[in-house]
Amino acid sequence: MRLFGFVGLLLASVATPAISQSVTDESAQGDVSVTIYNNNQALVQDVRSLNLPKGRSKQQFPDVSAQIRAETVTLAGPDIGIVEQNFDFDLLTPAKLMEKAVGQTVTLIRTNPATGAETRVRAEILAANGGVVMKIGDTIEVLRDDGLPVRVIFDRVPPNLRARPTLSITLESAGGRVPTTLSYLTPGLGWKADYVTLFDEAKQTIDVQGWVTLTNNSGTDYRNANILLVAGSPNSGRGRNSYAQWPTGTIDSAGTESNDRERLGDYYLYPLAERTNVANAQQKQVSFLDVTAAPAQKVYEFTNGWLGSSEATSASSVLKFSTSRSGGLGDQLPSGVMRVYMRDKRGDPQFIGESQIEATPMGSSMSIRTGEAFDVKVKTVVEERIRRSSSRWRTKMRYEVTNARPEAATVDLAQTGLWGDVRIEQESQTSERVSADKVEWRVNVPANSSVTVTATFDSRY
Amino acid sequence: MNVSRFFALLALLLALQAGPLAAQQLVVSGQPENISITIYRAPGRGDRPIDANWPQGYALITETRTISLPAGDAMVRFEGVSEGMFPESAIVTGLPNGVREKNRDARLLSPRGLIDAYLKREVSITRTNKATGVSRTQNVFITAGPDGGVIFESDEGFEALRCTGLPERMTFAKLPADLSAKPTLSILTTSRTAVTATLTLTYLASGFDWQANYVATIKESEAGEQTKLDLFAWLTVANGGNQSFENANMMAIAGEPNRERRGDQLRPTGGALQIRCWPMQRTDQVPYNPGYLSAIPPPPPPAPMAMSSDAAEEIMVTAQRRNGAMMDMASPVAAVVAEQEDLGDLKLYRVPERVTVNAKGQKQVAMIVQPDVSYDRIYVANARDYSEDSAPISYILRSKNDRQSGLGVPLPAGKVAVFENSAFGPLLAGEGDLPDRAIDNEVEVVVGQSSDVRLSVTEVRRTKSRQYWRAKISNARDHPVTVEMEILDEISGRIKGISKIDGVSTWRVTVPGNDEAILDYTVKMR
Repeated sequence: MRLFGFVGLLLASVATPAISQSVTDESAQGDVSVTIYNNNQALVQDVRSLNLPKGRSKQQFPDVSAQIRAETVTLAGPDIGIVEQNFDFDLLTPAKLMEKAVGQTVTLIRTNPATGAETRVRAEILAANGGVVMKIGDTIEVLRDDGLPVRVIFDRVPPNLRARPTLSITLESAGGRVPTTLSYLTPGLGWKADYVTLFDEAKQTIDVQGWVTLTNNSGTDYRNANILLVAGSPNSGRGRNSYAQWPTGTIDSAGTESNDRERLGDYYLYPLAERTNVANAQQKQVSFLDVTAAPAQKVYEFTNGWLGSSEATSASSVLKFSTSRSGGLGDQLPSGVMRVYMRDKRGDPQFIGESQIEATPMGSSMSIRTGEAFDVKVKTVVEERIRRSSSRWRTKMRYEVTNARPEAATVDLAQTGLWGDVRIEQESQTSERVSADKVEWRVNVPANSSVTVTATFDSRY
Repeated sequence: MNVSRFFALLALLLALQAGPLAAQQLVVSGQPENISITIYRAPGRGDRPIDANWPQGYALITETRTISLPAGDAMVRFEGVSEGMFPESAIVTGLPNGVREKNRDARLLSPRGLIDAYLKREVSITRTNKATGVSRTQNVFITAGPDGGVIFESDEGFEALRCTGLPERMTFAKLPADLSAKPTLSILTTSRTAVTATLTLTYLASGFDWQANYVATIKESEAGEQTKLDLFAWLTVANGGNQSFENANMMAIAGEPNRERRGDQLRPTGGALQIRCWPMQRTDQVPYNPGYLSAIPPPPPPAPMAMSSDAAEEIMVTAQRRNGAMMDMASPVAAVVAEQEDLGDLKLYRVPERVTVNAKGQKQVAMIVQPDVSYDRIYVANARDYSEDSAPISYILRSKNDRQSGLGVPLPAGKVAVFENSAFGPLLAGEGDLPDRAIDNEVEVVVGQSSDVRLSVTEVRRTKSRQYWRAKISNARDHPVTVEMEILDEISGRIKGISKIDGVSTWRVTVPGNDEAILDYTVKMR
């Protein structure tokens, strides 16, 4: 440790003779604000008070993120103009030290393995290519060829080699102490939302708590920082060519409501009320949403592919609710994972399933698939398939929906693969054609019983 | 065999070999006095970032050096040139009688190179007794090496180097003349008299790259007013080599000069000495593989017990504005701005002052400062990419690179960081890529996705020859947004709201705040 401190001092004195640097544990960060986006990216704004000489000076900025995207650095402040910015990452390592010593003379101290006697010689470094070739006196040798202990003492540290990547900015100033804002982007900081949803089946309500999980892998601590979370990924847009993510299917219909939450363009902002420390390799959780007793409904969904015929198969359990101001959660939901819990007979919450949700506008109706239902099953049978003519087929389907629960269940039964021009000739209950490809029946199954739905399709296939 | 008999022969051979070389005098040119460096972008890099370790672009480096030439033949060796130099591109001017020969030597001085040079020659070997500390030196003769190990002959017979378990060190009498510490460029030239010559060395070198880095700061505007932004750009230059160029004239070239594929440079010879001996590894020397260390497991879901109202330790997220002292501007003020000039069909940016391009460093100088650029914010989508599940729409900033819009300067390719104002000062709203844009080109930058402005496209009905589609845009923002949805299929009939933009049927619609817009259209089937 002492050696490193010493090298650091040496470096500071070599690289920046004009700037005195104190080697302390204190961070050089000033008033730091960290704005964290969803896609592992953050904007760091660091207000540092600089004592500037009049005219041009070169300022170094230590304690920036170890993963700083140097090309995004900006320094702004009253009466300062930027001449140039440099980011240097020629790091001081033993190999670099030796490489830069080529052509120079170093001191070797050899220790006799048996007697411990030390002999000092001066050696000229001739080359460092996979082994160090030296000239000692009149002969040529390879350093530590015989594996015996040899200490190499360098007279000096070469200039322009640094202990850490260094950001320096040359600027023009009127002089004096000025507050400056250093801002840059860095990966390694990210956040996501986690939702804890407690479903009360008797009351058909949910309690939802939203938690923000914030992670710092940027290699740097941010002390006493203002933290602002942005629900959005600032470079996820792919224009009109394609979009970044496939919809999760959790939004049944997208809402059009807005509230007074702070915004940044099209993104929502979640500021933390108090300053906090974000240490490197730390994960932090804070709460951002707390809604109790919002109405919710549990339904079952089953989708059958074209000509699908199967043994009794579990339907999906789906929790439906709204994010609207009236009768819903009344807020936007940043993307994250929603975990659903229910209380058991003793009143203890138990986990019943989870689902990824995408960023959801306020006023949307949502459905969360929590898992497969044990007691609600659908058996599908192709009862008849007849070729009517060279271009038409007749297909008769039977769907047996069984409910082994002691209460009634609603099952949304869907048949897909209708390829646009498939007609329904006959059906046992009225259906809804949700799209050209898909038809849906809402089947109410009483407690501990079953309901059979039949349909006859006229198709080209 | 008598070892000493070889010495005489050896000395004779050495003298013969050194003969023709001795007539040339070696002149080493250390540091250049004046450097100009012009940096070209990596061809075909597109919107990928610069590779900081070894940038894929190149540079034209012009150096002025002063040397003292002796009378007669001389070999001039240039030191401190970029390690990425393409030797075939080097041009040396300013010599009294021109260049006779130009060589790049990559036979490196290294443990391996030494053995190679001393093959069939005599060296000394020193062995140290670990118990007594006494070392013994003897002269030996290298019989074979350096591939796979070194065999030498001593008075006792033949032995393999370092297969003994004893500390062994070889000593060489003289530095082989044709090995160099680094790959070097040297020229052969002749001068009748001793002169001081100022020569110019020009060459292309790899390991450089540059790009523009734009900062677009969106200005506050009233409803109905033309929206404006301030555009600023850095010229970002990267040097991946180990050479610094001090006090250099720096330029950057935008545009794509043609470059042909080039074979790899001659590999430098040399390196560490690889010695393979008879088996001597023990089980304790077999490296221990700790196996795959799995990542930290995901956090357990917070227990629902936290549902209780006691929240003493929680930090609630509430809207609290930051201090007003926070920054008010996102773009910096530049004291030095690179000047642009035309170079044939290319654009040249010249940094007006001398700068230092550091080894393994990245450097930024301002290159474009254009305040008050008019732009439009448009939401764009392609109907084919959407389904009946609503999905977010991307939005772009669109402008025209002309005087009326406040631009009208060549815009070289680079990343655009868009800053937008919020209650907490300007924050990053998005990052997009800009290709090279000439004057009068349309400029579009994709900023991000809006989870509030969404599109769903559903096929409602289909017949043999027609598809009936319904597109629905929902807007959860409290003000109107302009959306352009492209339909790449052939549309049947004329539909209100759809017009052709650049040959593509486009539904251009302004969706009021907190509202929806619906379009029904029919597509012809082939």
